[in-house]
Amino acid sequence: MGSSSSSRNKIPNAQELMDQTGFSSAHLLRLYDRFECLDRDNRGYLSPDDFEAVGGLAMNPIGGRIIDAFFSSGQDTVDFSSFVRILAHFRPTDRNRNKEGTQQELPNSRTRKLKFAFQLYDLDRDGKISREELLQVLRAMLGLQVTEEQLQSIAERAIQEADLDKDDAISFDEFKKSLEKVDIDTKMSIGFLK
Amino acid sequence: MAPLRRSSTLRLTGLLCLSFLVFFSRGFASHDVVSEKSSGTIQEDSHSQANSTAHKKTFPVLSFNYEHVRTPFEISLWILLALFMKLGFHIIPTVSHIVPESCLLIFVGLLVGGIIKATGEQPPVLDSNLFFLYLLPPIILDAGYFLPMRSFTENIGTILMFAVVGTLWNVFFIGGMMYAVCQIDAAELAHVDLLSCLLFGSIISAVDPVSVLAVFEEIHINELLHILVFGESLLNDAVTVVLYHLFKEFAHEQTITVTGAILGVISFFVVSLGGVMVGVIYGIVGAFTSRFTSYSRVIEPLFVFLYSYMAYLSAEIFHLSGIMSLIACGVIMRPYVEANISHKSYTTVKYFLKMWSSVSDTLIFIFLGVSTVAGPHTWNWIFVIFTVIFCLVSRVLGVIGLTAFINKFRIVKLTKKDQFIIAYGGLRGAIAFSLGFLLDNDEIKNLFLTAIITVIFFTVFVQGMTIRPLVELLAVKKKKESKESINEEIHTQFLDHLLTGIEDICGHYGHHHWKDKLNRFNKTYVKRWLIAGERSTEPQLISFYNKMELKQAMMMVESGSAAKLPTIVSTVSIRNVPTKGAPKPSRAISKSREEEIRRLLRANLQKTRQRLRSYSRYELLNDPLEDNISEARFRKQREMERRMSHYLTVPANRQETPPVRKVFFQPEHKVYTYDDSESPRGRASPSCADDVSELKETPEKPDQSSTPRANRDAELKPKEQDDQGDQLKVSRCLSDPGPNPEDDEDSTFLP
Repeated sequence: MGSSSSSRNKIPNAQELMDQTGFSSAHLLRLYDRFECLDRDNRGYLSPDDFEAVGGLAMNPIGGRIIDAFFSSGQDTVDFSSFVRILAHFRPTDRNRNKEGTQQELPNSRTRKLKFAFQLYDLDRDGKISREELLQVLRAMLGLQVTEEQLQSIAERAIQEADLDKDDAISFDEFKKSLEKVDIDTKMSIGFLK
Repeated sequence: MAPLRRSSTLRLTGLLCLSFLVFFSRGFASHDVVSEKSSGTIQEDSHSQANSTAHKKTFPVLSFNYEHVRTPFEISLWILLALFMKLGFHIIPTVSHIVPESCLLIFVGLLVGGIIKATGEQPPVLDSNLFFLYLLPPIILDAGYFLPMRSFTENIGTILMFAVVGTLWNVFFIGGMMYAVCQIDAAELAHVDLLSCLLFGSIISAVDPVSVLAVFEEIHINELLHILVFGESLLNDAVTVVLYHLFKEFAHEQTITVTGAILGVISFFVVSLGGVMVGVIYGIVGAFTSRFTSYSRVIEPLFVFLYSYMAYLSAEIFHLSGIMSLIACGVIMRPYVEANISHKSYTTVKYFLKMWSSVSDTLIFIFLGVSTVAGPHTWNWIFVIFTVIFCLVSRVLGVIGLTAFINKFRIVKLTKKDQFIIAYGGLRGAIAFSLGFLLDNDEIKNLFLTAIITVIFFTVFVQGMTIRPLVELLAVKKKKESKESINEEIHTQFLDHLLTGIEDICGHYGHHHWKDKLNRFNKTYVKRWLIAGERSTEPQLISFYNKMELKQAMMMVESGSAAKLPTIVSTVSIRNVPTKGAPKPSRAISKSREEEIRRLLRANLQKTRQRLRSYSRYELLNDPLEDNISEARFRKQREMERRMSHYLTVPANRQETPPVRKVFFQPEHKVYTYDDSESPRGRASPSCADDVSELKETPEKPDQSSTPRANRDAELKPKEQDDQGDQLKVSRCLSDPGPNPEDDEDSTFLP
């Protein structure tokens, strides 16, 4: 793997990335290796087809959405720092960290994790999950095995349950509230990214 | 006043029961029971004391033969005693708040044993055969069948570490230290050699599932801790079994060989994996069988019980871990069986399991108490006290050491509070006692048994009683009562997919990756074989949604029908959800009855109406006010009648349809049941008889009925559809008996 100092020089803005995401240098290196592995043509950035080459994503019902989440609006390339910043959302939360200041800024706080998930639902970025968006997600997850009416009733019920201000859509706060019993810190964390 | 009377009656019954018990156990214990002798002590006035000797020449009108029924009779008496005790503790709430039930039961056992001994008889001891073959399996099956799989699999690594490594550490530490203690001259225990000590260690170190369940259930601790301690108590059975047999063999031989040790390690893997394999095989066979049980629904629960019990027994044949086999069988069988069996069978399974495990658990503790009084004891202060101390110390050290290691791999670390609860929750119980009882009869056995009983008492009484205040004191997180939410389910599945995708991108084969693979495998191959009919392709979200809807429907019926509707009408069972066969309507009330009801209601309402009118006519003074009130009341009555009639009969509806349309049915809980029950999201099954023609939405209905999954889809009608159409549909369903007169009892359970 080479000596750490020289490898770190390969990664642009390593220190800044480490500060912003909370990754250690070992992790950053690992992610960089992975980045290079995905980047088959060695262009220094990733494009959608690089992502699509990844095995499981084709079968994943929301694979397309996940890929799109990496590309911020308009661009069709992902450089390493954006790659790392997105993945930083999935770093396990440190329970023991002091809660002042730093916790909120780090991408792996509970709120930020939920925000990331929310944005995967809310494709038009209007801050709410409308019924149509929810239906799309359900359709993607349940596939062709269910009828339209079933989807409609599930979506209807979901909105009814979560929608507290009766605007017929789920806002981010309502989304957070409906998931308050779920342990997001565990659920949205990948072990090796500690 | 009433509770007091009840409790005193209870005590009286309990006392009566006890006295019967004493007398009969006297007969049971003594070996030369002659009917005359036992009859002499019976106080039953129903049996006359007939002489069964040869002197009798005339035909005995009333004779007495106790021997004939002795065994089942006494077993029943014991069980009855156990049940009365359980009942008593719940009726008298004050004591059970401080002292956990298990302690009280042991105490009762001590009392009973004392009484029996006082009468000069030998009290029955907890026979190991009885324990392992009859009393233990129901408890384990109950625990295994309802094991929360999600938290179990998420923490499986931690649980295995505690179960295997933790128990091993306990065994060797306790065994070693006790050997050191035995070397002290003052103890006079020089005859206890190392192997015996290790054997003792292997018996005493295992955390007992029965005790853990009994105590933890009452303190409602958060799910993580519960599953950690409980999972550990289940999985350490393999270790215990292997070590016990190993050391017993060695103690026999008086030597330890290297090959023996290696064989021991291999034997561990064989015992645990073999046990799981046996359980899996029986589970799959059971799931497959349940696919065909739709032809005879009544015996469905028996299949579940028998397959699981056979799994346990088969594992025991080969000295494999019966507990792990039982758990594996239950876990494998459950999702498929639940998709196949009817709702009633599922309820039966659930309640029988709870019932049996409850009785078993009570009996075990009572017998523990009785056996304490019974057995020959060799009390050795040093041995016993040091055993207790070392048990505690080794548990604490083991937990701390293991947690330090495990926390490196865990996403959610175990805090000091968690560690304390895990250490404190390491209760010993009846398994240790039974294993000790199986030892060869010699003086060491009595020594060991005494120590084992002391440890059990200590853990159950002291730790059991103090754990609740400690949990409060340390403010340990309690179990969250979570209402099932469709949102949670949707989002959890969404997050699962998301995490799987991210793991794929990172190239990390983690928890989600394997879970996803397993789910896919399950969906494509296994479900097709093991689930009958079209349920095999039903996605999990839909099953969940159906289950929620069904639950809500039942809740609404139960809450509303008792208050508002007359009893006859409340027999309309919304639970009669149509099965996968030809859509059968839920037959509620016969047409003639409905007519009667209508007439009755109409008459009553009219009477009130008339009363109102006459009232307002003659009461001159309050005329204007009365008019308003009576008008409002009258309107209300009419509305109510409208709704009632709409609910009841079809033909009458024809005139009523226009006004009915105006009524808006709120989806939330309303005072009148039929509002909610007519909500389109529910069991409104349009699959009713076709002879009613007034439905507006006919174009959609035939389409639905023709699709193979009509019955499922039809239940989930979207709210966007016409309210009125649904009302009519519902009224049709609920009123029309349909072409098939017989009640369809076998509604499939929707898990």
